[in-house]
Amino acid sequence: MDHTAAIDAAAATLGLKITAEQRAGVAMYYGLAAQMAALLDGLPLTPADESGTVFHPVAPEVGE
Amino acid sequence: MNATAIATAVRDGTLSARSAVQTSLDRIAATDGKINAFTAVLAERALKRADAVDASPRRARMKLAGVPFAVKNLFDSAALERRLEAEGAVLVGALNMDEYAYGFTTENTHYGPTKNPHDLARISGGSSGGSAAAVAAGQVPLTLGSDTNGSIRVPSSLCGTFGLKPTFGRLPRSGSYPFVASLDHLGPFARSVADLALAYDTMQGPDPHDVACAQRGIEATFDGLTRGAEGLRIGVLGGWFRSKAMPEALAAVDRVAAALGTTRLIEWPEVERARAAAFMVTCGEGGALHLDDLRKRAHDFDPKTRDRFLANALVPAAWVHRAQRVRHWFARRVARSFETVDVVLAPATPCTAPGIGTEWIELDGQRLPARASVGLLTQPVSCIGLPVVSVPLWGLNPAAPHLPIGVQIIAAPWREDLCLRVAAALEAQGICSAPVAAGL
Repeated sequence: MDHTAAIDAAAATLGLKITAEQRAGVAMYYGLAAQMAALLDGLPLTPADESGTVFHPVAPEVGE
Repeated sequence: MNATAIATAVRDGTLSARSAVQTSLDRIAATDGKINAFTAVLAERALKRADAVDASPRRARMKLAGVPFAVKNLFDSAALERRLEAEGAVLVGALNMDEYAYGFTTENTHYGPTKNPHDLARISGGSSGGSAAAVAAGQVPLTLGSDTNGSIRVPSSLCGTFGLKPTFGRLPRSGSYPFVASLDHLGPFARSVADLALAYDTMQGPDPHDVACAQRGIEATFDGLTRGAEGLRIGVLGGWFRSKAMPEALAAVDRVAAALGTTRLIEWPEVERARAAAFMVTCGEGGALHLDDLRKRAHDFDPKTRDRFLANALVPAAWVHRAQRVRHWFARRVARSFETVDVVLAPATPCTAPGIGTEWIELDGQRLPARASVGLLTQPVSCIGLPVVSVPLWGLNPAAPHLPIGVQIIAAPWREDLCLRVAAALEAQGICSAPVAAGL
């Protein structure tokens, strides 16, 4: 699959310049990430399957 | 000398800390031109610290009195360094790594590659390659590294050292430069299991400055090392962990399984997707962490990591969020598997150390990019934060019998004690060992 449009749109949105030298490598690694995303999409999840990230409230004594 | 022996001798007064540190500095000077493990050597500071240990009224009680150690080049006055130094260990320098800890080879363009002390034409593994190589070369008996996707276990495997990746949240990361906060672990490398346990015990304890660090007291492991593996339920991970392993990696696991008297095969569900989850979380968090620098000075990045970081910064949030949900799904299923088994075994790397500059490896009939694939067998385990000790075996690759390969000894969260007990039993049987590389 060609991800050129997605790469260009995201790069423009984030203010990242992808040079000619970098383009082939970026496309390869973005394509690899897309393959991983497809694998992840293939596992059925329910709304009860929560994220592995959990916020930890900060106690006053370690605040900044 | 290993760390335990040095500390005993310095406590007894039969060896000075200065002498132990000077010996280490001399070894570094004699060998580092060949392996390139160090990015900085702190000789003057180290000798001053050694003199302070020798003069300390606490010397006879210091657990790591006079033990030289070094740290991966992402530690900066970290909590773990301070905890080791409080027990008399002496920092001698900083160690090479893949840039920003992103890679499995330590072919760092800025500092040069760290070479495998057992074969200078081969990689040390990464990203904590300097940490493993310095121990394997006998430069120091103890080092610290980080492991996000395998960066302690991969170089341990390829350089033939013992390495411990503790449970996620066990050891504080404060004072270390992050890579992927959701996945980053810190841990030790050593040439004996006793040294690993001694360092690990010294570094335990909560730290309010690392939000991921568990509020758990010290659960010491050193005194339990001699309990052996008897009575433990041990299995061998199948599926992904065997299909992505070359013959030498399978032979290593099978030798360990035979020594432990197990033939039991354990299957974890959806391992490939767990690996994908670790990969994607790494993309999202790693890319975002460096976004400002990628905007302003991408040309300063190591070309081997730059394009990956750029691509990672572009991935959609939905991909990363899904990965975190899959990660949690997987953790819950694997947790259930530990109701019937205490420890499981898997290869640490698919193969022995590839040559420096290797771009591709072939696994399971697929041609895969080497730098992203050496960690295929470690990523699913660190993805869910399980504790692992990597133990080195030898002579299992007929084409390169001088090379080591590691086996992961994996337990349920917070059971580092079981990993270390099994590792110590294997070491006592002579199944695994971590000799200093010859001929340097």
